[in-house]
Amino acid sequence: MAGNNIHEHDLVVVGGGLAGLRAAIEAHDHGASTAVVSKVYPLRSHSVAAQGGINAALGNDPGSKGDSWEKHAFDTIKGSAYLADQDAVEILCKEAAASIYELEHWGTVFSRDSEGKLAQRPFGGAGVPRTCYAADRTGHNLLNTLFEQAYARGIKFYNEYFVTSLVVNDNKCTGSIAIDIQTGKLHGFSVKALILSTGGYGRIYERSTNSLINTADGHALAYRSGAALKDMEFVQFHPTTLYGSNILITEGARGEGAHLINSEGDRFMIKYAPEAKELAPRDIVARSITQEIEKGLGYAGEYVYLDLRPLGAEKINERLPGIRQIALDFANLDPIEEPVPVQPGQHYSMGGIAVNNEGETSIEGLLAAGECASVSVHGANRLGGNSLLEALVFGKKAGKKACCNNRQTGPLSIVKKVMDREQERLENLFSGEGDNWATLTKEMRKTVYSKFGIFRDKEKMEKGLKTIERLKDRYQNTALKYKGKTYNQALLKYLELGYMLEIAEAVAVSALERRESRGSHYRTDYPDSDDDNFLKHIILKADQKNRPAISYAPVRMGLFPVKEREY
Amino acid sequence: MIIRISRDAGESYADYNVQVSEEMTVLDALFHIQENIDESLAFRYSCRGAVCGSCAIMVNGMPLLACKTPVARIEELNNVYEVFLPRKGEVPKDGMLLEPIPKLPVMKDLVVDWEPFFDLFGKLELKLRGAGNPPEKEYLIAKEKVRELEKYTNCISCALCWSACPVVGDLKDYPGPAALAKLYRFYLDPREPDALNRLAIANQEFGWWACDFYTNCKKVCPKKVPPNIAIGKARSQLKNMEDNQ
Repeated sequence: MAGNNIHEHDLVVVGGGLAGLRAAIEAHDHGASTAVVSKVYPLRSHSVAAQGGINAALGNDPGSKGDSWEKHAFDTIKGSAYLADQDAVEILCKEAAASIYELEHWGTVFSRDSEGKLAQRPFGGAGVPRTCYAADRTGHNLLNTLFEQAYARGIKFYNEYFVTSLVVNDNKCTGSIAIDIQTGKLHGFSVKALILSTGGYGRIYERSTNSLINTADGHALAYRSGAALKDMEFVQFHPTTLYGSNILITEGARGEGAHLINSEGDRFMIKYAPEAKELAPRDIVARSITQEIEKGLGYAGEYVYLDLRPLGAEKINERLPGIRQIALDFANLDPIEEPVPVQPGQHYSMGGIAVNNEGETSIEGLLAAGECASVSVHGANRLGGNSLLEALVFGKKAGKKACCNNRQTGPLSIVKKVMDREQERLENLFSGEGDNWATLTKEMRKTVYSKFGIFRDKEKMEKGLKTIERLKDRYQNTALKYKGKTYNQALLKYLELGYMLEIAEAVAVSALERRESRGSHYRTDYPDSDDDNFLKHIILKADQKNRPAISYAPVRMGLFPVKEREY
Repeated sequence: MIIRISRDAGESYADYNVQVSEEMTVLDALFHIQENIDESLAFRYSCRGAVCGSCAIMVNGMPLLACKTPVARIEELNNVYEVFLPRKGEVPKDGMLLEPIPKLPVMKDLVVDWEPFFDLFGKLELKLRGAGNPPEKEYLIAKEKVRELEKYTNCISCALCWSACPVVGDLKDYPGPAALAKLYRFYLDPREPDALNRLAIANQEFGWWACDFYTNCKKVCPKKVPPNIAIGKARSQLKNMEDNQ
């Protein structure tokens, strides 16, 4: 450590979820001195909450004989409403099996079939059973394995360090500044490369399945530093979140045979997707549920039922024990005996920091992987079982790329300079006299959910954008009363709100720009897809005045031409 | 309702008057206080769905996850919960006393230092050592074996069992229930080439042999992990080996 709390590493990975840990392990194994900087202990990362599974065309299931990476790629690209970059999808699907075997060899306990092979279950938008799983705790099991492996390698962890700024000069990233949450002290990190793996921006929304920590930190850090964001308007709404708390009820439940039922007792998905029914892709099922509720066919005007009883007690206990526990703990009902009240809720951020297939952003030395990045393998709608896979495949790629380019650190004096600037900025925060951070956070979430939700239109969204802009102004004068150093969570929440407001604005601007419907982005004023004008990525960069400037990037096709999405 | 919260490692307490609703969890109540009454309050959280292990605290002496405990059920829990630990403060009349879990240093309010707990990942080498030459595809593992392994892999590292174990803290260097259960899980794993060696790591007076089978660990586990059973089985395995020598 070079005095003044500046730490030197070849690579810092911000975020200790699946993508971050996989990246850190890869870099470490290539000889890079690697540190993970995370605002929570790694096992508390949101990856731990992933339930249903991870896709690979292993062909283990009798129903998936002859499955191939090409079929997986086709399902992924069709599911993405043809907005995914097809060379990236090819990498994802070709490397899927090896990535899962690797974790299996490192100790992950997966569910098995009767021959002892990895069991595979059907998932939405997939032609055959292709989703490997660990009951309904797949993310938990994978994250524990990676944490065990990373810990045993002696990778340095800075747990409960909150990153406030990146060090970027001449479009080159050479460090970051973080608050040690425990002491309140600022620390600098001088690096050759930095990987952001901070998860999605789900918590800009009300009604989200995401952990409370998913506050767009990495997106905002990158964006403020001049990196490009991509396809931010694409936000996935999961069809089945528990009514009330919006805790996720895995697609695996429908994969195993659960039905969606409206207030007249009808299995309504038969109307919307006659072939796939409950296993249509998430965008379609989420819209169908919302339409049923809006037609007055929901319960209490708020939810429908997910009926797991067709599975029977044995299957529920073996394959969905966590879901049963969630229903017991958070809805006080037993899905073996009663249907579960569910409603759609924000679930996943398809958009993110624009990266190439090796995780590099538009800033030299700055990479991103996992949900915070947009490669893009998910396009306009992600298929279930592809996010854990993306984290493993592209986390590994980013880890390798970050440490293998003969990269150099920058001068420590630059890190020191940014650290001093941050010190001053943070000290001056404690002077506002306006609203409190919690009030503004609630208003933002309500606005983003109601104006940029499942059904969108110009008028609603313009109002929403105005509200977000006003919230950004009010944020400048937010009251922050507590000045303590140790575990000052008010300060962290204030900083998180700053990140979220910037990213909420990015979502709003992109959503207004895309004057068509595609995947998760459904506009009632433009209900059809418009390939002529919008089969392209929307790119945002902050301009001189820190306002979002729009540009476009072509979708990289190559495997499959655009076809009607029928399910 | 009066919610009394430990500040300064139990040196002082603060009382907050909170209007509680039917569906409010203890974690919701903490957010309500932090957002509306006292922003200096510190407590841990992440998933709010009982899977991340962040929010272990003591409620009226009961070690619990704040996120899955409805405030309205506290009185009922007072009658049915099996494990009560010594409190430092007084439970307010018709109210609720929140304290940090014991046996880990308090950092602030309800936040404890997890380092001694996570240090064990290194000390006991809590990972699959694995064989040098894994198969080309997956290892074949019987369903029944997976069922047995899952009992232990379900651990969310919340440290509730650590805080509730009478031996932890009483005996220096005792790794505690969660770490021993995790170590046993690697012994059980058919992919482990030298499984018995894993048991040997904790074959000491302060290891497997220190447990007194209070079974508090299993009783407080939000995921129903049974460290007591792992410890019992490890002991009989070690004893068998000794007898055979």
